[in-house]
Order: sequence, then C-alpha cells, then structure tokens
Amino acid sequence: MNAAASRTVPAGQARPERMVPPMPLASRQMRRNRDVGHDGMARAALFLAPALAIYGLFTLVPIGATLGLSVTDAAGLNSVARFNGAANYVSLAGDPIFWTALRQTVVWLVLHVLLAGGVGFALALAIAQLRATQVFFRSALFLPHVVSLAVVGVIWAKIYDPFFGLINGGLHAIGLDSLARGWLSEPALVLFSVNVASSWQGFGLYMLLFLAGLQNIDHSLYDAAEIDGASPWRKLLHVTIPGLRDVMTFVVSLALINGLKGFATIWVMTQGGPFYRSELLTTYIYKLAFQFQEQGRAAALCVILSLIAIAITIVFNRWREKQP
Amino acid sequence: MSERSRSDWPIVAGLAIPSIFLLGPFVWLILSSLKTEDEIATANPFAMPQMAMYQNYLDAWRIGGFGELIINSAINVVAVLLLTIAICAPAGYAFAKMRFRGANIVFYALILGLTVPIQAIIVPLYQLLSGLGLLDSLLGVTLAQTGNGVPFGVFLMRNFFRTVPDELVEAAKIDGCSHWRILTRIFLPVSQPALLALVVISAMSTWNDFFLPLVVLISPEAQTLPLGLVRFAGSYTTDHRLVFAGTVISFLPIVLLYIATQRRFTEGLTQGALKG
Repeated sequence: MNAAASRTVPAGQARPERMVPPMPLASRQMRRNRDVGHDGMARAALFLAPALAIYGLFTLVPIGATLGLSVTDAAGLNSVARFNGAANYVSLAGDPIFWTALRQTVVWLVLHVLLAGGVGFALALAIAQLRATQVFFRSALFLPHVVSLAVVGVIWAKIYDPFFGLINGGLHAIGLDSLARGWLSEPALVLFSVNVASSWQGFGLYMLLFLAGLQNIDHSLYDAAEIDGASPWRKLLHVTIPGLRDVMTFVVSLALINGLKGFATIWVMTQGGPFYRSELLTTYIYKLAFQFQEQGRAAALCVILSLIAIAITIVFNRWREKQP
Repeated sequence: MSERSRSDWPIVAGLAIPSIFLLGPFVWLILSSLKTEDEIATANPFAMPQMAMYQNYLDAWRIGGFGELIINSAINVVAVLLLTIAICAPAGYAFAKMRFRGANIVFYALILGLTVPIQAIIVPLYQLLSGLGLLDSLLGVTLAQTGNGVPFGVFLMRNFFRTVPDELVEAAKIDGCSHWRILTRIFLPVSQPALLALVVISAMSTWNDFFLPLVVLISPEAQTLPLGLVRFAGSYTTDHRLVFAGTVISFLPIVLLYIATQRRFTEGLTQGALKG
C-alpha cells in the first residue's frame, strides 16, 4: 500500500450526504474522527461519469426525446417536426389497431405468466423432489432458455408449418389429421400459438428461480407437517406456496415485464398478422416508426408502453413492500 | 432416513412426458437438419434420415455466411461485457461506498431506465445513432446496448459491494489507499459472484438481442447471428434443409457453452435475477 496515495484523499471539501443508510454509531464516529468517508461530488463523479455518460446519451436522453416527439407531427426522418399538442394521442385513441394491439398485449402478458410461469412452477416442484437426477433435469429443461427468441421464432415457425411441421406432421403420422390446424394462419389461434413459442423459451428461467426459492424453505416445516399427517396437497398449500410468496411475486412481475417486451417471436413468425390478430404494442411501434414513417404517433405509443411498464413496476414494488 | 433413501424413479417417470414435449423440438430440428429435401417433404417427423446429410451444414454455412455472423455476435458480446464491467463497477462502488450529493437523483434516473423497455425509446435512439454516423455499425449497437444495460449493472454491483464491510474500506484508507485502489485491489477480487452474474446476464441479453440489430443493422457484413438467421430463413423459405441446418448452427454455440459451464451459468443467472 502506497503511503503517498493518502495525500490524494480529499479531506475537507465533502459535504455530508443524506441518502446514506443508517450505520452503527461507532462506525459513524470513526468516520468523523479520521476524516474518512467524506467524498465530494467531484470524487464520486469520476467514478460515475463513464456509466452516466453512456447511459445518459443512449437511454436517458432518448426517454426525454420520446416525450418530446410524441407531441409533434414528426413523419419521415427529413421533414421538420412541428408541435401538435395531443393530436397523436387523440389519433391513437381513435385507431382500432391500437386498441387491438393493447388488448392483445394484455392477453399476451396473461398467457405468458400462466404458461411460462405455470410450467416453470410445476417443473420446479417436481425437480426439487429429485436427488441423484436433479442436476440433470434442471440443466436439460433449462436448455430452451439459452436459445435466442428470434431463433425460437424461426424454430417454431417450422414446428407450426401446416404441412411438414412437427405438430401437423406428427398428427398426420399418428392418424389424427383432423386435429391439424393452420396454427399461424387462423386468426383465433395465432396469438396463442406464438405465445406458446415464447413461453417455451421463457419457462426455464422461472423454473430456476422457483427452485432457488424452494431451497430456502425451512425443511423442518415439512417435517412438522409430516408429523401432523398432512397430505402432499396440504403441504403444497400451507408450506410450499406461502414459503414461495416472495419468489412468486418476483416471477410474476418479471414475466409481465418480459411479456411486455415481447417482440422477436411475433415479428419473426407473423409480423403481427393475419389481420393484426397477433399485433402487440411493440410490433405496432416498429411498424409506425419504420414502415409507415409516422414517428410522432410511434413516440406517443412509446410513451403509453413506458407508462404500462412503470405502472407494473410500481404496483409490484408496493405489493412486495406490503407483504409481511 | 426414509428421506434419503427414497428413489427418484416415480418422479422421473412423471417428468418423462413433459420432458419429451419440451425437448422434442431440439431432437426434431437436428434430425430434420440431416434430411434431404425429399425426406422433409414426406412430412413424417418421426422418420430417421436415410443417411446423414452433413452437406446441409456446409451449404448453409457458406450461403448464410454463418462464420461472419458468429464472429460479429462474439465481438458484440465481448465489447458489451468489457465496457459494462469497466463502467458499472466504479459506479456501483460510488453508490455503495462513497457519499455524495445528488445520489438520490442519479438513483431514480437509473431506475427509470431499468423500467422503460428498449422499444419505447427506439425512435430517438435511431435518430441519435443516425446523427452520430453509427447506423449499420456494430459499434452503434454495442454502445446503445451498453447504455441500456447500465442500470442493471450498477445496481447489481452496488448491491454486492454493500455487503463488503465498511471497516475494510476504512482500514485500506488508513493505509493510504485511494478509492480506485480499494476498488481494483480489494473489491473486484472478492466480487466474483457479482461479476459472474453480470457477465452471464449481459452476455445472454446481448447475444440474444434482436430488436436493436433489426432496426439499426442493414448490411450483411454488420449483422449479428439472430438477425442473420432470420433474414436467411426469410430468403430461403422453400429450402427447408438449409433453414433447419442454419437454425441448428445458430443455437449450437450457446447451447454448447451452456453445457460446458452450466453450474456457473445457472448460478450467475439466478443470482443476477434475484439480486439485480
């Protein structure tokens, strides 16, 4: 340790800071006495600057600029955008495709939570009971999650192929042709079909999180339940599920946010079709901004998407804080 | 005792059917990628290939330019990782162990970026990259992905650094260490779990990213692997053997990497998701 380096520690210019978590009095006392822990904005800024510069330029400024763009008539990249008040929001409110995309986004989120979260939960419950083969099953069933969602889209477009796809081909091979469907061409099925593909990619992460949560449940609770003669069902209901409450809240919020960001599978498999029946807010943003060249309206939709994401986050943080 | 000696078999039997359904697509893809176009046209997914058509892989590799795509994606991932660690570790340290004015504001500014999805900022982001001359360049994608990942990286490092006792910092200061030395000589060496989590999560999200490359990258030389595969599949819709082989080429590198490192991979991902 270099003694000369101590000269570079600034002593006086720092001001006390309010956000510091409460610390033991002894430690606080020590800081004051020895002049350690006083860091001015200047010193902290050196540590923060690189991160804040890149974050500010590529995320924070665009967030602000989106708000600004959403109240202009920006259309096409070269034209001059003029302020037009709430016109973009009004126009979206009268746009049936917007309402379709919003409704389908909600359905998409719920399906993702139920399918990916549900499968992840059920598998975690089963795998947690395993001894020798636990690592094998956990690793094998996690595999779909390492595949990129765009690649998943290409894979499942093949699986759903009406003629030689795995599903219709498999049904044909076992003589159940009557069950074959146009999984991606029938308007009533398409959103569900694509969601299955996305959820196939997603469940592995939720399974891992549930497994981690199950490991944290106090095992003596099960022993106590066993002594009381509780059935497996009652153990699940009264020990496992209450013990997993935090993880469950977390998984549901994560699945909702992941679902809200869903884009790749839809874009690769259907581009929102047929007849907008698999359109989501994200795919509609892409179309408005980069195909229809209506940047102003796209920005207004971006603001709505952000508000939904913020609302989900706030609701779940409140919920988590309220829990005992 | 009964707990330990209990056999896995009843549960393994119960897991067999869901496992076949969940992992069947991989088997089907690999089998199909080794078939001729005629065999694929018979539409029997359970049939084995007559003879393994390795030629499909050679053709797909050449036509799709997968070598270049994999290199581009690898460069993209490595650059995002290096940048992210280099900028998020000091920032996380500042939040955990330095006291400064304005910490609250910076904190909330980061939370905002953690919440807003990338799709919701794409319009100005595109204009910005265009203005900087970074459209159609891996550098532009890398910078934007790094910027977008800053909140997660900073919170992850901060949460870990906070668990390092203050006494350690104070002792090092008395010995004359600057904050920079404390960070690089004391904090980073003990932060392997946090760095592992950051590496796994950043690498996965970068490697898998599709939206930003789709918007920003146009020319074939600059494409990343998922985007390249999607465009390849879109151009050769009737050459199914090529698309099957290309798909396997696209997921094989990451699947093999996962299998080789699975314990650390899983640990990093779980820790990162729970602590981030």
